Amino acid sequence: MMQKKVCMLGGFAVGKTSLVRRFVTNVFSEHYQTTIGVTVEKKTVTVDHQDVMLMLWDLYGEDEFQHVRESYLRGSSGYILVIDGTRKATLDTARLLQQTVVRTVGPLPFVAIINKSDLRSEWEIDQPVIEQLREQGWPVFFGSAKLGQGVDELFAHLAAMLLSPAPPSRICP
Amino acid sequence: MSTDPYRPRQPSQSSPARVPVDEDWTQLRTLLLAPEQTQLDELRDRLDNRSVEPRDVSRVLPEAFALRGGGDQQISAVLTPYVENGFITTVRKSPQAIVDAIAPIMGPAIRQAITRALQSMTEAFNHSLDESLSFRGFQWRLEAWRTGRPFAEVVLFHRLRYRVDQVFLIHRDTGLLLHHVAAEGVVVQDQHVLSGMLTAIQDYVRDSFGATQDQTLDQFQVGEWTVWVEQGSRAYLAGVIRGTPPASLRERFRDVLDRIHAEQAESLVSFEGDAAPFQTVQPHLEDCLQAHYESAQPRNALKLWILGGAVVLACFWWGWTAYQTHVRWTQFLVQLRTEPGIVVTNERSTWGKHHLEGLRDPLAKDPSSLINEAGLDESTVTASWSPFYALDPQLIRRRAQMMLKPPSTVQFRVDGDTLVVTGSASSEWGNETKRLASFVPGIAHYNDEGFVTVSIPDLLNRLNHAVIHFSSGSATIEPSERSAVNAVLGVLRDLGHAVSQSDQRVRVDILGWADQTGSAALNLNLSRRRAEAVLAALGGAHPRILTAVRTGTSAERIVTFRASLEASTKEPEPAQP
Repeated sequence: MMQKKVCMLGGFAVGKTSLVRRFVTNVFSEHYQTTIGVTVEKKTVTVDHQDVMLMLWDLYGEDEFQHVRESYLRGSSGYILVIDGTRKATLDTARLLQQTVVRTVGPLPFVAIINKSDLRSEWEIDQPVIEQLREQGWPVFFGSAKLGQGVDELFAHLAAMLLSPAPPSRICP
Repeated sequence: MSTDPYRPRQPSQSSPARVPVDEDWTQLRTLLLAPEQTQLDELRDRLDNRSVEPRDVSRVLPEAFALRGGGDQQISAVLTPYVENGFITTVRKSPQAIVDAIAPIMGPAIRQAITRALQSMTEAFNHSLDESLSFRGFQWRLEAWRTGRPFAEVVLFHRLRYRVDQVFLIHRDTGLLLHHVAAEGVVVQDQHVLSGMLTAIQDYVRDSFGATQDQTLDQFQVGEWTVWVEQGSRAYLAGVIRGTPPASLRERFRDVLDRIHAEQAESLVSFEGDAAPFQTVQPHLEDCLQAHYESAQPRNALKLWILGGAVVLACFWWGWTAYQTHVRWTQFLVQLRTEPGIVVTNERSTWGKHHLEGLRDPLAKDPSSLINEAGLDESTVTASWSPFYALDPQLIRRRAQMMLKPPSTVQFRVDGDTLVVTGSASSEWGNETKRLASFVPGIAHYNDEGFVTVSIPDLLNRLNHAVIHFSSGSATIEPSERSAVNAVLGVLRDLGHAVSQSDQRVRVDILGWADQTGSAALNLNLSRRRAEAVLAALGGAHPRILTAVRTGTSAERIVTFRASLEASTKEPEPAQP
């Protein structure tokens, strides 16, 4: 089976772990994330009848006290940027993280997911900003950790990007 | 009209003249353009008929597969179901062909697996055998019993010096698992996730200490496990080891990693996440699954011999004792079965304990005494006897004696179911016995033809006429007078027995006499001593006979008796000198 290393990136408390935990094979406690800054989890998806095992490196959320260890990004085939829709600052963090990835390991396929779609009325990120992101080439998804929405599509899209030799057409969910 | 572009234009002429010219042109054109014309016709046909010819496809098919297959996985995805179906059909229709095809691959693998299993089993068996008799072995057996694990496994665990439980081959850049092997019986967590975490931990340690890419975490330890990491340029080996591994194992890891890098150089460089090419490194990784157990301690041969001898002696002693006990028990049973008044209905022996059931006449011999006589331990025998009356002649006779209490002058004999009475006794006893005899179990008839009755007055008379003589000046009973003393003794016994049937008792005065020779005082003393000597010779009194000593002088040196009947309610007078 094809394996791919994928990093989960996002600001502090954007709900990365909550978003994926119920969809992955989990062996290690979340405690490791706060100890060494990462936990590794596994998610298998099927793309065009082909199974792909995504090894998810769930990195500790970046904030003013802790920065993402760049060594963890090495060897990634792609990454997922998680943004909290109710905190606009997490979008800035995601932009910084995306630049960090490009600087560290080069341009890689990635998808962005704006979490907490169940609290849409409280969002600080409005539609024009989202459109702007899409124009910049960001595949943007909406998800809810609470409702478990948007995650399968997210992984399926990223897996398709990783397997495809050419960039897939942009999908606007 | 011809549309041939190559046809030269001619000036208009009369028709008879132009015919030969057209034929010439046609011939010339045929001569010059025949090959091109044929090709042109073929092309026209192909344009008119656009269906694909299998022949044409067959020419380009391999190349087309190669081109498309290199680009993406779509061909594989499309063909996979057809290949799978074809394979399943082949297996069903002609399994032998598949067997022949995979036998060269599977054969060695199966042989290797069986060899490993046999080696492991033999090793476990040898260790178990070595430890089965030692104190340590006993402790381990207890542990096995307590934990529910097989004894061989407990022995192996305690004698384990080290064992490589798992080996991971991990891509260095991505942390993705290339291949993994584990020792038999090892519980494996998700090895893919574990590979990622192992890589993350190394990155973390390297970052935390500011180490360069070349400086790596080579080893870490958790409890009884050690994780060894051997770094290569593209991949690294991680071995999970239980116990204390030797340094030579590290060299083996290094060799294996170098070999993998040499053999899989291209696959490692172009690794994009597909670990399938690394299936071939399985034998190399299995080479790393080493295990070493503590060898058995060389034991002192003398101790072993002594231990073995002691065991043999103990077995021999136990066997001999058991045999002896068995023989004694058998003999005891034989004796018990021949014993009158005892009937054994059931007997059983279990682990040195014996149990008896049967019938026993109360007058029969006590089985306990027979047990002791047979040399058996009485505590090992339990018995349950039910009482009954046995009809053995000797037991009937004893029963009659107990019930009828014959005097010493009477003898009993049992003849079939007849009690034969001989001898002499009082008529009272004779009459009473005749009445009671039929109540004795086993007695139906009574025969007293040989029995004569003797009355109390006769006995008193015989006693009153009895005389015991003494030498002059002597109070010692002469041997010649012993029969006379015995006769008196017999009469006294009969008298006692005779009066026991009545409410009377006998008073007997023993009279000592001295002759006239010597002084009166001396004679008085001598006569008293003679009476006392006889009293002593008669040896104690019968319950219903009172004896007293009297003295006197006469012409003879004798002792005489004076017997009389009196009522038993009268208190006996103490004997007077």
